[in-house]
Amino acid sequence: MKLYQRITLLVSIVLTVVILAVSLSLLLFAKNTILSLSTEQVQRKQKTLRTSFSEMANYYARSDDSEAVHNSLIKLCFNRFSDQSSVLMRNGKPVSTGVTIDPSAYVGPDSEAFSEGTPVAITVQGRNLLIAGSSASVGTESYSVYVVEDITDTYARIQRMAWIFAGVSIAAIALGAVVVMLLVRRSTKPITALSGVAKEIADGAYEKRVAVRTKDEIGTLGEDFNRMADAVETKISELEERNERQRLFIGGVTHEFKTPMTGLILHAGLLRRANLSEDERDASLAHIEAQTQWLERLTQNLLKLFTSDEEIELESVRIPELLETVEEGVAPKLKEKSAALTVQCETDTLVLNPDLMHSLLNNLVVNAANAYDADAPEKPIVLSVTGRTFSVSDRGRGIPKEAQDRIFEPFFRVDKSRSKKQGGSGLGLALVKTIADAHGATITVDSEPGKGTTVSVILPE
Amino acid sequence: MKNRILVVEDDAAIRDAVLLNLQFADYDAVAFDDGKKAADALESDHTYDLALLDIMLPGMDGFELFGLMEQYGIPVIYMTAKTDSASEIKGLRDGAEDYIVKPFDPLTLMVRIEKVLKRVGKWNAVYRVKDIVVNTETHTVTKGGEPIELQPLEFDVLVALLRHKNMTVSRERLLNEVWGFDYLGETRMVDVKISALRRKLDLEDAIRSIHKLGYRLEDR
Repeated sequence: MKLYQRITLLVSIVLTVVILAVSLSLLLFAKNTILSLSTEQVQRKQKTLRTSFSEMANYYARSDDSEAVHNSLIKLCFNRFSDQSSVLMRNGKPVSTGVTIDPSAYVGPDSEAFSEGTPVAITVQGRNLLIAGSSASVGTESYSVYVVEDITDTYARIQRMAWIFAGVSIAAIALGAVVVMLLVRRSTKPITALSGVAKEIADGAYEKRVAVRTKDEIGTLGEDFNRMADAVETKISELEERNERQRLFIGGVTHEFKTPMTGLILHAGLLRRANLSEDERDASLAHIEAQTQWLERLTQNLLKLFTSDEEIELESVRIPELLETVEEGVAPKLKEKSAALTVQCETDTLVLNPDLMHSLLNNLVVNAANAYDADAPEKPIVLSVTGRTFSVSDRGRGIPKEAQDRIFEPFFRVDKSRSKKQGGSGLGLALVKTIADAHGATITVDSEPGKGTTVSVILPE
Repeated sequence: MKNRILVVEDDAAIRDAVLLNLQFADYDAVAFDDGKKAADALESDHTYDLALLDIMLPGMDGFELFGLMEQYGIPVIYMTAKTDSASEIKGLRDGAEDYIVKPFDPLTLMVRIEKVLKRVGKWNAVYRVKDIVVNTETHTVTKGGEPIELQPLEFDVLVALLRHKNMTVSRERLLNEVWGFDYLGETRMVDVKISALRRKLDLEDAIRSIHKLGYRLEDR
């Protein structure tokens, strides 16, 4: 059952009960009021009639009157005050009557109501009657004076009133139910819309939002819902981006492993299966050695890449000492390239991770040495530290503009064959970037093809 | 006439190994480590029967080189480390005859090369070892000009050994190449055929049993 249906049903039931109770009690109250008014009226009327008749009859009656005169006198006196509802009886026989029934059959002379003169309500032949009677004495004679009031019309009015009450009640209940239904439907409509959007989002349409129009709780719910959807969308796209990066990275790693693996498999196969000459055997073994060394470098760098991605430990480090160890580390490479390195240091201590920063600077200097132009020995590589900025400059061949954005991507190589010949794993600058990120540092690249490259790493304050 | 094969591969280890394997099988192989250099050299000499191309190449990549190969009517087999289906589909839709995914097995490479050469009708049907000439088209074998009678299975085993000349071929591999992949026969059958070949063709020394590995037809 839908919410609006349930609420409408509940409200209708409550409305029915309340309206019925109210109208019934009103009706009963009205009926009682009207009846008691009629009763009082009838009682008063009977009392007046009896008193007036008895006073007048006693005044005029003489004990020496003949029976015929007496009877005429009694009738005259009674008729003086009677109307068509009045009945006068003597010894159970009507003397004068305006009605067709015998009231003494309903209110006998021995009944309590008769002695008190209180009206009694009865129904005779479909008519509602109020009968009030009491005795009146004229001389020694005892008469019964009755008033028989027909209140059928009053009853009919009360019944009509009941029908009107019922009609109004039903109309009120129906109207109430319809209004409640419309209201509830109107206020649940945004919930239906919300549910629709929630389904779409669940099916992957993360960009969907609900239109918020109202300022009530449902409007707030809509706004909160949209905020939640924003958060979900951001998170999802972050995850997707990360996933994509990881996919690309794993693809890159796989690709990087496949090449040396192929070399290894081919040469191992040759050594095992072919009848090679001494020189060929040597060449194969040399290839195997070079490929395994390459794989070793690759795994080392991968390991560093993964471990420096995490929270790193920082300490206060004396920069001149750090630079000394970097200089020692790159010495063989510089010698191989017959490149010169100038170190300039204007900073005493900085807070950083010395092992990772050593790795970073080592990678930058090795890259600079690889770009180094052996024909121009008068232009040394410069490693300088000023304030919180580490810079490595070379006057080598530079990086083409279109490649500058991509050099920090894993396995991106500006010049594939050259880099491989120089033993690059394709992860050097990716590692530099990861280490810089772990330090919260920013990297800037300033390079012009043919003129050289300066890479700067600026530590945060 | 030896089949001429162009190899473009920038990784020295792979290039040298492939070249050696091609030499063993009597192919005339020329190798380049750079796509651009290969393209330049093609201008003056493009009489190749087949090209083995790496895809990620410096200078000019394998897909670019393919256009030139088409121009000169040279069938192409890609040697690729790219395992994603997208590049395979691209390579084959563009008309490459085949592709082989790194890391690959050199014996499989030889089988693929032979298949492609046969398909494009450039296959040199004649193998030679010492004074023996084996013609796979006419199914004839001569030794010193004299015809030698071989059973069909003996002939097939001989061709398989020649296909992988100077490389050890396992009994299982020989069974597979001669009888097909489904064959679940005894490897002893191979030994029987080998001894027949040794006897009939006087190859006692040239067909060597390599302990635990298989047989090798040596010719160098």
